[in-house]
Amino acid sequence: MNRICLGIAVSAAWIAAASAQSADANKLLNPPADAWLTYHGAYNGQRHSALRQIAPENIERLEKVWTFQTGQNAPIKASPILMDGVLYITTPDNLWAIDARTGKQRWHYQHPMNNAFHIGHRGAAVYKDTVYLTTPDCHLIAFHAKSGKIKWNVVIADSNKGYWSTNAPLVVKNHVLVGVSGDFDNVPGQLKSIDADTGKTQWIFYSTPPGGGPESESGGATGGQMWTTGTYDPELNLVFVGTGNPTPVLNGSVRLGDNRWTCSIVALNPDTGKLVWGFQVSPHDTHDWDANEVPVLADAEFGGRPRKLLMQASRNGYFFVLDRTVGKNLLTAPFAAVNWTKGIDSSGRPIPDPAKEPAKDGVLVAPNEAGATNFRPPSFDPKTGLFIVSAQDGYGIYFFKAEHGGYGWAGADYNVAGKSFLRAIDYRTGRIAWEHGIGDGAGTAGVLTTDSGLTISGDNRTSVLALRTSDGATLWHADVGRVQNAPVTYALDGKQYLIVAGGSSLHAFALPDSKHGVD
Amino acid sequence: MKATRILSKAAAALVLMGSMLAQRPPRDPSQSPAALPRLKSGTPQTYPPEQIQAGAQRFAAQCGFCHGRDATGGESGPDLTRSELVARDVRGDQIGPLLRAGRPDAGMPSFSLPESDLNSIVAFVHNQMDRFATLAGGRRTVEPPDLATGNAADGQAYFNGPGGCSGCHSPTGDLSGIASRYKGLALLQRMLYPSGRPALSAPKAVFTLESGQTVAAPLVAQDEFSVTVLDPLGARQTYQRSAVKVKIEDPMSAHFTQLGRYTDGDMHNVFAYLDTLK
Repeated sequence: MNRICLGIAVSAAWIAAASAQSADANKLLNPPADAWLTYHGAYNGQRHSALRQIAPENIERLEKVWTFQTGQNAPIKASPILMDGVLYITTPDNLWAIDARTGKQRWHYQHPMNNAFHIGHRGAAVYKDTVYLTTPDCHLIAFHAKSGKIKWNVVIADSNKGYWSTNAPLVVKNHVLVGVSGDFDNVPGQLKSIDADTGKTQWIFYSTPPGGGPESESGGATGGQMWTTGTYDPELNLVFVGTGNPTPVLNGSVRLGDNRWTCSIVALNPDTGKLVWGFQVSPHDTHDWDANEVPVLADAEFGGRPRKLLMQASRNGYFFVLDRTVGKNLLTAPFAAVNWTKGIDSSGRPIPDPAKEPAKDGVLVAPNEAGATNFRPPSFDPKTGLFIVSAQDGYGIYFFKAEHGGYGWAGADYNVAGKSFLRAIDYRTGRIAWEHGIGDGAGTAGVLTTDSGLTISGDNRTSVLALRTSDGATLWHADVGRVQNAPVTYALDGKQYLIVAGGSSLHAFALPDSKHGVD
Repeated sequence: MKATRILSKAAAALVLMGSMLAQRPPRDPSQSPAALPRLKSGTPQTYPPEQIQAGAQRFAAQCGFCHGRDATGGESGPDLTRSELVARDVRGDQIGPLLRAGRPDAGMPSFSLPESDLNSIVAFVHNQMDRFATLAGGRRTVEPPDLATGNAADGQAYFNGPGGCSGCHSPTGDLSGIASRYKGLALLQRMLYPSGRPALSAPKAVFTLESGQTVAAPLVAQDEFSVTVLDPLGARQTYQRSAVKVKIEDPMSAHFTQLGRYTDGDMHNVFAYLDTLK
């Protein structure tokens, strides 16, 4: 009884202290513990929480508090957003607002049926009292967060030309940055900045022509779509975004050269959309290895001095560390099976081996098309310096012959086999500190780390896993269905919640009431 | 106490399984559609143009990313215009149940589509199959002659030498006539990693009982917490790893290791050698 009373008292104090009244620019810069306001939880993309209530010592006592079922077949591949005690979660064409304390639905939006690809959706975005949703047919819709009423609805790209969107927008100041996908048509890569209040287009960044740099730089390639959520450094006023593979996808012979800025990390000024620097992680890609994985930011020591770092574990199997002020490479090291390079060039870029380009009789390539990793987000634990990523050692066979042509996919490829691991990379050396097997095939779960020393992710079956960050040992697991993005965490009323999507359900876990206390 | 009880219960079931374990009849190996001549829908079916058109749109939205907007293969799914299942299907009797159930092991989700959407998708897929059957040449396809670049004698030497294949396989034993059963891409895929299709030697879970006796059973699924096997009656049985002593024997692990060792030349040579075993 006493403990319960104490809990209530603590809760009241917490509510008084918290002032999560919508998400203004300052809140997005300094996210409070009772919110998860952006796709990554914070602009640096570390997916690391300062919360310590759920810890290695007590995680065995974690209990399920509620489950929300979408009632649909489509699995949740999104990362939830929490603002003002309300969770926002998405699947293609759908957005739900859910009470974060009870798991009860507040409102639900269903977009009209459309013919664009429905392969997944990564989540919503919030700014002030507005929630933003991209749709498969490339609309960006702004909703009143409280009521779910539509404020405005704009078209961000022409889905009839082969664009579709799965994107969780990144909000920086009053810019809503939205990307699209488009692998099956030779269309330029585009990232659009939309005015958060009015829905008007502010600028468009093109990664490839027409619109992007000169034809001589792209070599005739299109593509380079920016379909994942970037990161932001307010001091440098730079947004960092990964760009996708070139099109045509497997036929490199009609787009010679490096094919800038496909398979790259680009640094953009969020106010103008101008390119400040670019670093290409896969020059002349012919294997569908988008470099859309999260460009994670950290201010940390490297080579004996403090630096502003950017880290990416890329789909091509290499882990990159850059100085993000200028885009200079500091480290390139493989973190999974790779056989497609002839080495690393003087600027830190892998040199593609022409013998591993898709061929008429087939070439055996590692990674396979699913990649050494993919959109599932990694996490950086600043305390241990470990960058934890869901990795795959995978092999595929790649084919191209003239009859496959030069449009869209332009070739054929087949995954042969793969094994998946959560791998902890020491960011200073690129060495693998530990790995934890999660099963055959490619993984789907992203990673969350917490200050208490927990690494939360999922295996390739139906378990959410909690590992000890220092050595990867399993501390806890629960059967929730296949996890297809990263878990998130926040504290409400003094209680830390762990939110995990498994299958088409969203699950909330917390410690039992009698056990929790506030740090 | 509880752990002991679970352990003894598991042990009893395993002893029973060990005593009942019988040879499971081998399944018919199926050929890859990509290696076959162009298929047509087995039972001629005609659909109204407006239904095919509606199906094209629903197919693009729900299936196009993996199977291609024209159903000839996309980012991860196979070419449906060469699918034996589609060829066998009559007005959705095969495609419908497959869509509703999905193929979770192969990464295909299930779909709960309205009947009208499902029927229009069926119409579109049949129409595509019959359209492509009349077209010359492949699109995103791999034909058996494309793969004929290796040297069979070099492949045989690799098979018996550095490849280590002869440690488990024999051209007069398990591989006898393999090239008659599998052709082209299907043979190459089976050579590289035979799982996912009928596997000749599926992984086994080998349980060690308290008595020291061991019991082996075909593995269905496993993770770090549990092991699921087929009992002799074909039913799935799941054991918590904490309650049993179990080791997984996976003959495919040698194939996986080999993937990291093949040069493309080795791969094409071994393929050429296997292609002689008709």
